[in-house]
Amino acid sequence: MFAEWLFTAFALLSILGAIGLILFRHPMHGAMSLVVTMVSLAGLYALLSARLIFVLQLIVYAGAIMSLILFIIMFLNIQTRDLPEEKGRILYLLGGIVLLVPVASFLIKVVKSLPATEATIVGSGFGGVKEVGLVLFQDWLLPFEIVSLLLLVALIGAVVLAGKRRFVK
Amino acid sequence: MHDFLTILPLLIIVFGAVVLMLLAAFEKVSLTTAAGISMGFFAAAFAAQLLAGCGPQRLVFEEIFNGMLVAGNFTMVAALVIFACGFFSTTSSHTYFQVNRFDGLEFYSLLLFAAAGMVLLTMAAELITAFIALEVMSLAIYVLVGYDRNRVTATEALLKYLMLGAFAGAFFAMGTALLYGAAGSTHFTAIATVAASEAGSPLLLGGAFLLFVALLFKVAAFPFHAWVIDVYDGAAAPVTGFMATALKAAVFTLFANILAIHGALHQGWVEILFYLAVFTMFAGNLIAIGQNSLKRMLAASGIVHTGYLLVGLVAISADTFTGAVIGYYLAAYAAGTLGIFAALSYLGGEGEKRATFADFRGLARVRPYSAAAITIFLLSMAGIPPTAGFMGKFYIITSAIEAGQIALAVLAVVSSILSMWYYLRLIVAMYFQPAEETFATTGSPWAGVGTIALAVSVFAIGLYPIIV
Repeated sequence: MFAEWLFTAFALLSILGAIGLILFRHPMHGAMSLVVTMVSLAGLYALLSARLIFVLQLIVYAGAIMSLILFIIMFLNIQTRDLPEEKGRILYLLGGIVLLVPVASFLIKVVKSLPATEATIVGSGFGGVKEVGLVLFQDWLLPFEIVSLLLLVALIGAVVLAGKRRFVK
Repeated sequence: MHDFLTILPLLIIVFGAVVLMLLAAFEKVSLTTAAGISMGFFAAAFAAQLLAGCGPQRLVFEEIFNGMLVAGNFTMVAALVIFACGFFSTTSSHTYFQVNRFDGLEFYSLLLFAAAGMVLLTMAAELITAFIALEVMSLAIYVLVGYDRNRVTATEALLKYLMLGAFAGAFFAMGTALLYGAAGSTHFTAIATVAASEAGSPLLLGGAFLLFVALLFKVAAFPFHAWVIDVYDGAAAPVTGFMATALKAAVFTLFANILAIHGALHQGWVEILFYLAVFTMFAGNLIAIGQNSLKRMLAASGIVHTGYLLVGLVAISADTFTGAVIGYYLAAYAAGTLGIFAALSYLGGEGEKRATFADFRGLARVRPYSAAAITIFLLSMAGIPPTAGFMGKFYIITSAIEAGQIALAVLAVVSSILSMWYYLRLIVAMYFQPAEETFATTGSPWAGVGTIALAVSVFAIGLYPIIV
């Protein structure tokens, strides 16, 4: 019962954080709001007994990546007056909501139709570094390998789009 | 050993991409060298794929990769189309970049990375692998679209494509999560088992729905087609050609593979795919008729071709699925579209100054061969015999009739007749109006050679089923 309350709290917090991320005008507020989402996601992972993912979520996402984002925002020194005028964003938001209502109601229907399941007790090593490592390098070897391709492409892309360009003959 | 041969083309492409990435750090390497190396790797991968051959669908490295990669005749054809698209996009890019100076060696590296992602996508037999492959391909293409940082339209195209593409990626991931909930696994085989036993399961339905939204976005099908005009218009001509052909080939291969995993899954979506196909064809035609810019018209006609491919998807039968019809249409469509974008790459001139129908008035008087080649490509896209486009449409429509979708077949023919309007409009402008300029082109002849090769292959692909 307590776990269910925790789940509801974390889920609500993560959604509120995401909404804040979209609605806040200043990027700094948005980033702080994203921290809330990241931390509550970590809480959700902990509830699932995913120990390693919980730690990684805190260290990598809520920690490293968020501080990088904050650093960039501070580095660019964005003030409220630098932000563009957003006319009619409420109208756009409302239009988007209206468009999403059928999709959302469909998804809610899907979720509601799920059969109730009993929580099972996982083994003692579940979600630890060793167990995740074994699954990752045995069952999920191919996705693990091609993620390296993805990261390489992202790296080159960032250099190409943002770096100094040297023209060759 | 045979497994290794099967993924050898993929390894060649990835190796080539890494080699080009490393070479980009050296000052001495010229653009021509880089383009040559890129063409070499694409040609080598094409040859390796052709030599390795294939057969019925089977798992590659089943033990090590845990059944996440499949290869078969269908994936082989898709890979051949992708490699050929990469090859001819490179020839076009080389000429294009001698006039439009925003090049860099990384361009070719990203082209190869995109091709690697596409080939992985066609071979994926598992949703997480497919997702990563989709993102490898998309990320590389985003960067290629926005490669020209000085042009506002390119930046706009990049931003639109990136934002919407990220949305599509999120839909894909969400769909994967729901399907995992339904099947307890992301393998296609496991999903097929669930589809067979409980076809109406809400999780399966919701998961497939979200997955299809992402795929329909990527191929620019009806409700998700609005981005394609601006993005295709903003990207450089060779990149647009590559996107329009190779990307569509890769995503449609995955789409067909997913639909074919079980008959029950396909049956559940036939009706929706039917309406999507019809709306895609006619929306594309309506948009294309209103365009004055050639690239925008071609983008809209790409939507129409997506519609024909959806007709092909409606008509597949999951039990006897070979993908022959879709593979053939993808090859036929790729030859025509790549050809016209190759021609645009060298005729477009600096900053793509020749862009509208009016700019190509009287091309036949000044450059009869270029005009003839463009005419061949347009006729192929319109579906006039004996070109590849005609045979492709013929197979699509006959397969629809065999599947009992007579109405769909008739609508496809009507749409094909409508599309004549904008294809013939360019032919009329080229042949029956006086020339106003000299159409002088500078730069290397590579794109021109590529155009001729593609014009020949339009007939070769068209005549292949008759001869063989």
